[in-house]
Amino acid sequence: MAMRAMQEATFLILTALADGSQHGYGIITDVQQISGGRVRLRPGTLYTALDRLRADELIGVDREEVVDGRLRRYYRLTPAGSGRLADEAARLQAHASAALTRLDLAGGTAT
Amino acid sequence: MTDQAKLERAYRRLLAWYPRRFRHENGQEMLAVLMACAAGGRRRPGLAQAADVIRGGLWMRLFPSVPRSARTVRAAVRFMYAGAAVSTVNLIVLLAVIADIKAYHAVLGYRLTAAQASQFNTLAITVGIVSDLVPIGLWLWMAGANGRGRNWARGLSTALFGVATLDLTGAFETPVFRVSFVPMLFGPTLPVLTWLAGAGAVGLLWCLHRVLPSAGPGADAASTAEATGADLPRAAPAVTVTAIGGALAALASPAAIANSVQPLAARTHGSGGVSVIILAAVVVVLLIGRVVIGRRRG
Repeated sequence: MAMRAMQEATFLILTALADGSQHGYGIITDVQQISGGRVRLRPGTLYTALDRLRADELIGVDREEVVDGRLRRYYRLTPAGSGRLADEAARLQAHASAALTRLDLAGGTAT
Repeated sequence: MTDQAKLERAYRRLLAWYPRRFRHENGQEMLAVLMACAAGGRRRPGLAQAADVIRGGLWMRLFPSVPRSARTVRAAVRFMYAGAAVSTVNLIVLLAVIADIKAYHAVLGYRLTAAQASQFNTLAITVGIVSDLVPIGLWLWMAGANGRGRNWARGLSTALFGVATLDLTGAFETPVFRVSFVPMLFGPTLPVLTWLAGAGAVGLLWCLHRVLPSAGPGADAASTAEATGADLPRAAPAVTVTAIGGALAALASPAAIANSVQPLAARTHGSGGVSVIILAAVVVVLLIGRVVIGRRRG
């Protein structure tokens, strides 16, 4: 079955979780760092994405903690989530290298 | 009240845009993130922040995310609503022709004998209407119960679907001998459609049983257990309910009423057609099963 391309926010959230579990605010700061400060997720966007990713079983709840009287839930990738992220990363990489190769052939603007 | 508390109250109010399920499960957590994201000294949410929170809530309400394990149930519930729709069409047609049943039969080229005409008395018509209302109610009830994950409906639905299957034979008898209202116009179309809706739901139930065990291993224990724990009992009744609805709908169809009036021997008439339809239905169910399984594996 053909898979739709992943939205950038989703891709970055999965990437943030790729090397370990994180809680909501941790994901936001990590995504900002991964994207070089360009993408700052807002909480509404983040939780809409997390809700969808959990339903799709691409992420799961790792553990819960209570910090300052507030619930903190840590999310992590499921095996399906890792696979999906790897597929998407490979796809993006193939596109990017195709673009760079052609630019190179066209006159070497991409060095 | 401190600025912090004011801000928190404002955010709590914004969270009302989200579905109750989400608020219950993620409300506290999201509130913490909202507070952490807010710049210090704020007393009310920024416009962009508030718009984003509201947009997220609307999105979740408009396009609720269905857990993977509950998707077959969702599909089964859709079949039930389809069954209810077909039953409603049945009722509407019945109401349309009931006013002048004799003229209606004349249009179709049948002349009712006095004895046949006398069967369309008030009692028969009332029974006809009620028996069209009952399946509509049942379909909706079943869809609702299944959506909420009630387990009791399972056996009942399956049994009723069985009854509906048996009863379907009534829809294939030669019209001349039948004292039915609607099927003369559409032939066995409506009963068969209703039955197919039930069959689709039952097919989904069987797919679910085949698919779930293989979905278990590999998936993360915590979230899968959470999802399937809630959704497995949710799925089974959904199909059950469909089946019950389908069965009762077919049972209560005008064809069925007429059928009960006729001697049993008349039932054997359409057996050839019945077996063709049942065969077709089995094929449809298998196809649906394949599609569903294919989706899950994909």
